[in-house]
Amino acid sequence: MRDDEGPDAILSDQELVEKGRAGDDGALSGLVEQHHAAAYRVAFSMLLDDAAAQDVVQDAFIKAFRGLEGFRGDASFRTWILTIAGNEARGALRRRGRRRETALEDAGPVPSQQKAPDAEVVDTQEAARARRLMETLPEKQRLSVALRIEQGLSFKEIGEIIGSSEGAARVNCFHGIRRLRELMQ
Amino acid sequence: MSNMNCETVREWIPDYVSGRLDSLDETSTQSHLNVCDECAAEVALARLIFASRVEVPDGLANRVRDAVRRERTPVSRPWWGISAAAVAALALGIGISSDNPDQIEISVPGYAYEIEEGDMWLSDDGLIAGAPAFDGLSDEALLQLLDELDVGGAGGAA
Repeated sequence: MRDDEGPDAILSDQELVEKGRAGDDGALSGLVEQHHAAAYRVAFSMLLDDAAAQDVVQDAFIKAFRGLEGFRGDASFRTWILTIAGNEARGALRRRGRRRETALEDAGPVPSQQKAPDAEVVDTQEAARARRLMETLPEKQRLSVALRIEQGLSFKEIGEIIGSSEGAARVNCFHGIRRLRELMQ
Repeated sequence: MSNMNCETVREWIPDYVSGRLDSLDETSTQSHLNVCDECAAEVALARLIFASRVEVPDGLANRVRDAVRRERTPVSRPWWGISAAAVAALALGIGISSDNPDQIEISVPGYAYEIEEGDMWLSDDGLIAGAPAFDGLSDEALLQLLDELDVGGAGGAA
């Protein structure tokens, strides 16, 4: 696999997939470059564990490239790899033998933050607080919010990744946001 | 009053907070947020979520690339395409009785004694040590051969 991506960097995912099928390692490298971050964030959203999330991303790409011949392109490569990453993360959770979903009641009170003169510091603290509260949401709500806000995915894509309909993904995201707003007040 | 509605703005929130909206749409969105507290509150929360997204570890892409490369690299074989252990067994002239797996028969073929001196070595017990047959193997192939002999070959049966 080449380290210098060269012209592959400007190719579309579909073009990279076709070149990858033909054995072009540089094209596969381009797909890794494009999507590893989103795959990591999906895995981390579910596992809340850096090392486990990295393992999931690695396994997801290996499985995706093994199955590249069977990739029909009905969904985008992005949706496909994120779905595989999600499935791998679920498998890791099962192997771990316990869910990381925490009941909202277990989250405990979050101390209110005194507003500091430095607005940037306040934002960072509030952002960390929002993240902690987000981790208390049920998995599908948490994933829907993360995929929507962090990755900018459509509800159709989110539905495919979390194994729900487009409408269910929209509802999960809506409820997740609403719940977070309540918790943040 | 903004001419955008809440539904449109909420569709755009992910692109707005990540800076992916073009400048015209961004200005329109900002105008709406100035007069709509509900959408402004949602954008404020989205900003916090986006700002706190987990950092992707340095080197993850390279780690994945390396793993993919390893996975796709075929195991090296001698050019004639059969396993090194099989080659060694042939070169050594070793036959293993299938009737009694506990008893290993070692036979040395007659042609082994007809090979001209220098083409092959003969060891003290008459087995062909076979140095010339392995001359063409790379270090990697030779190591693989040794591994295979240790695991399942004649070397472990003594």
